[in-house]
Amino acid sequence: MRTATFKSRAFAFISATSLLAALVVVSPATAAVATGPTCNAATPVQTCTGTTSDGALYEMRVPATFNGTVTIWSHGFGSNTSFPAAGLTIDSSPQIAPANNAVLVKYLTDKGVAVIGSGFSTQGWNLDEAVKTNTELVGIFKAKFTDTKKVVAWGYSMGGGITQAFAEQHPELVSAAAVMNPVDAWDAQSKYFVDLLWLLKNWFDPSIQLTGYAAGVTGDMQMLGDIAKYTAILKSLQASVATGAWPSTSSASAKALQSAGIPSRSALLLIGRLAGISAQSSSFDGIAGPATSAVTAWPLAYAPALGTLENISAVIGYALLGARDMQSKMGGSNFDNSTTDYSKQLSAADRAIYNAGFSGNTAIAGMLSTLNPLNPDAPRIKADAAAVAKSKATMYQSTGKIKVPTVVLMGQNDPVEPAGIVQRMADLYEQDFAAAKEAAKAANQSSGYVAPRRQLAVLWSVTPKTWSKFTADGLPIPIAGTPGTGHTNFTAAHYKFVIDAALTAASTGALPYKLEVNQSFKKMLLTIDRTSAYAWMKHYTTK
Amino acid sequence: MSSKARRTLLIVQAVIAAGALSLSALPAQAAEVGVTSSAIKLGITLPMKGSASYGYNQLPGAMKAYFDYVNANGGVNGRKITLVVKDDGYLPKQAIQNTQDLIGKDKVFAMVGALGTANNQAVADAVNLGRRGIPSLFINTGFSGFNDRKAYPTSSTLLPSYVMEAKLMSKYIKETYADKKVCLLYQDDDFGDDALVGFDKDHGNLTFTSKIAYPSLSQGVAGVPDAWVGKFKAAGCEVQIVFGVSSATLYTVLAAAKAQYAPKWILGSVGADIASINPATTPYIIGATSMSFMPSVVDPKDEYVAKFKEIHAVYNAKAKFNSWALIGMNSAFLTVQALKAAGKNLTRAGLLAVLDSDGAKLANAGLVPLNYSKTSNVGYNGYWFGKFNSTGDLVPNDTFTYTVYTTDSGTGAVEKSSYSRPSMPAKGLPN
Repeated sequence: MRTATFKSRAFAFISATSLLAALVVVSPATAAVATGPTCNAATPVQTCTGTTSDGALYEMRVPATFNGTVTIWSHGFGSNTSFPAAGLTIDSSPQIAPANNAVLVKYLTDKGVAVIGSGFSTQGWNLDEAVKTNTELVGIFKAKFTDTKKVVAWGYSMGGGITQAFAEQHPELVSAAAVMNPVDAWDAQSKYFVDLLWLLKNWFDPSIQLTGYAAGVTGDMQMLGDIAKYTAILKSLQASVATGAWPSTSSASAKALQSAGIPSRSALLLIGRLAGISAQSSSFDGIAGPATSAVTAWPLAYAPALGTLENISAVIGYALLGARDMQSKMGGSNFDNSTTDYSKQLSAADRAIYNAGFSGNTAIAGMLSTLNPLNPDAPRIKADAAAVAKSKATMYQSTGKIKVPTVVLMGQNDPVEPAGIVQRMADLYEQDFAAAKEAAKAANQSSGYVAPRRQLAVLWSVTPKTWSKFTADGLPIPIAGTPGTGHTNFTAAHYKFVIDAALTAASTGALPYKLEVNQSFKKMLLTIDRTSAYAWMKHYTTK
Repeated sequence: MSSKARRTLLIVQAVIAAGALSLSALPAQAAEVGVTSSAIKLGITLPMKGSASYGYNQLPGAMKAYFDYVNANGGVNGRKITLVVKDDGYLPKQAIQNTQDLIGKDKVFAMVGALGTANNQAVADAVNLGRRGIPSLFINTGFSGFNDRKAYPTSSTLLPSYVMEAKLMSKYIKETYADKKVCLLYQDDDFGDDALVGFDKDHGNLTFTSKIAYPSLSQGVAGVPDAWVGKFKAAGCEVQIVFGVSSATLYTVLAAAKAQYAPKWILGSVGADIASINPATTPYIIGATSMSFMPSVVDPKDEYVAKFKEIHAVYNAKAKFNSWALIGMNSAFLTVQALKAAGKNLTRAGLLAVLDSDGAKLANAGLVPLNYSKTSNVGYNGYWFGKFNSTGDLVPNDTFTYTVYTTDSGTGAVEKSSYSRPSMPAKGLPN
């Protein structure tokens, strides 16, 4: 089983014209007063439903053998705007496990574990609302099932960030957490999203609006227009990977770069490196090459650009929906790149590793020169002061601080939530753990040394050694679902493994010893590597 | 947790506990990864196949030949050395994968002789050798950035920096070809950027009539080298520097021959040896100038060359003894000395400490000094100049007398070296 990340289908299904023709807006359900839980008293597992005070629909599955432990699931990012023609609707139905997978639910209830979750009252970037809903929902459950002893929070993507924020803010409620490919705090996440969107717009189609969307349906239409343009850009770039031609909609600065002989694939790769998206994707490993004379040139010059393109295709819908959603909530853009020096976002290592893909240092310098803030052909985004103030006043910036035993599952090349999000959590935790050890040594003076317990285990979902394949003619073969790539590319085995570890931690107060000795660990291409060094999100490294 | 998983965990815990009990009977010293009482395991990643492998793919065989010779003579402090070789095709992502495997699966004690600027930057960035305390010794690159001890605390380079090379080249050209029009072809990356620093007014102070930066891989595109040559020829270049990889040199001299462009060639050390790629190209570089820090491989009186050749003939008999074999055996020779100096109680930290304290004193075939110290990761710091002879070998002159120059990567002067090389230890084994 491989479950979808969030309530969406993939953006690969987007057809811009059908989107524009069939826009329907559906308002989410709201309620002023909590209702339920209403239980059906079914055996062996009863189902209870209701709404929290903010109108979030919730569901509980409680086995007759309930052992006092309950899991609370937080689902991924959902659209706040409805695009039925693209398979997207505002979906506020409750989710109690990844994609409400029945096998997983049964797996847990068979253990005597209750399984609960809500659909949240609002979609889009809903971290603050969701933490409040989860807090209330745990209270409702405990009030109904008074023998509740342990609460395990889990979630992926947006829900991973919600789970982490929930555990950070309410360690008194959460016994253990399973955090899967979480979003970062909005400031870091929005820089990733909007850098990517702005850089694509800047070079490949300046007519893209990106900010200043109108309210309501008019704004929806404007955003759909942008999606159509981004789709056209990506298709054009894919078609011209070999020739290096730039999209016909490119800016004057971009056309000058084209005239200078810089291929569009180099610009695409540079955008990826500046934003911080992985250059390895489900189809492109940057290692294997076709059995032709291009065996070396392919992985150096073409595969990184194509990997970046495949990853951008996977994230761009989330990026635009997220950016627009936050603009709506804050009343304007709180993203600002008016003074950003993008040259500082290109690391020395990337400059060397991808040099051939960039077409050399001269090309890098030429491309970066067009990103100068003073270039009138590259107008920057100036944040709306009121939106910035509102976001600072109202949005919780999760810190990644580990306060309860936490298992994190992360794909090393996730295009939506880069691995650096978890790397930062891990690095900060190592500092805390080292400090805890020092404190324990200091305490040793009087009471004897008691080693602190490690509270964080990061499980990296990694790729095979190589995975790209080619036809006899040397053409790349598209590959779906390569482990360690894609967004929330996890199997039922992954979910079982992670939730089992969190349940054990909730039960014992400590993470299971040596997770990696589990026989299924290596089969799932998981690794625990405390020396991993994925780059943090650019928000942190370019301050 | 399932009952099965719980049973597994209990069994594993029991096994670990039993292991801990038996270990407690051993001396307190914990065994270092890759080291046993009888063996030391080392690793190397470099291109062994494909267009970027020519010449470099001869390094591991030569290194192994010397290690085998040492092993046959008792090893290092009683330990035999094995070298695990992995092919990275000169691809950074593959180099990362290989290094992770060498460390995590093959459990090597240290990396030695890894190749390439970008690959080693990629490895340092992703595999984090420094944080893990894993030595990567005698890297075959001259990129000056590796002398950043903070960024690369456990890495050391073997080659003189490309800045040094360009500085020395500048002096040589100004003295040998005064008032001639000098032109430059260089690789448009960190490698070439280092050279530009070495040539600039604060360092080598060499001016160019024309210079072209070529992006890596463009040298193999049909017509591109012809265009370079066309520009150089039109500019009236009389002295032509090629500061690039071997394939760039190869395609450039071929295009020059076609265009009847016949400047005085000055070929950078990295890409000069095109005869290794294809012996048939030897005629194209006869008389061209290049530089080396090692003795000429055809030097009939050099004791290191003689000894290495003798060992090579026994332990790597099927391969030709050439300049690549000489470099490979010299790297292995340095490695063995460093391992021996690190003592019986061999640790990674101990090995790195040896390089800091005594690295500059290690015997080796190089005709210029080594510069390892607590503040320097850089190996050699100079070159001698010579010309390619009719067999495609670089020689200083007919009498094999070398004039060696040294310098630094900064604005220090280029000076004639008075360095006196340590004698080859008896039997070619470390003292």
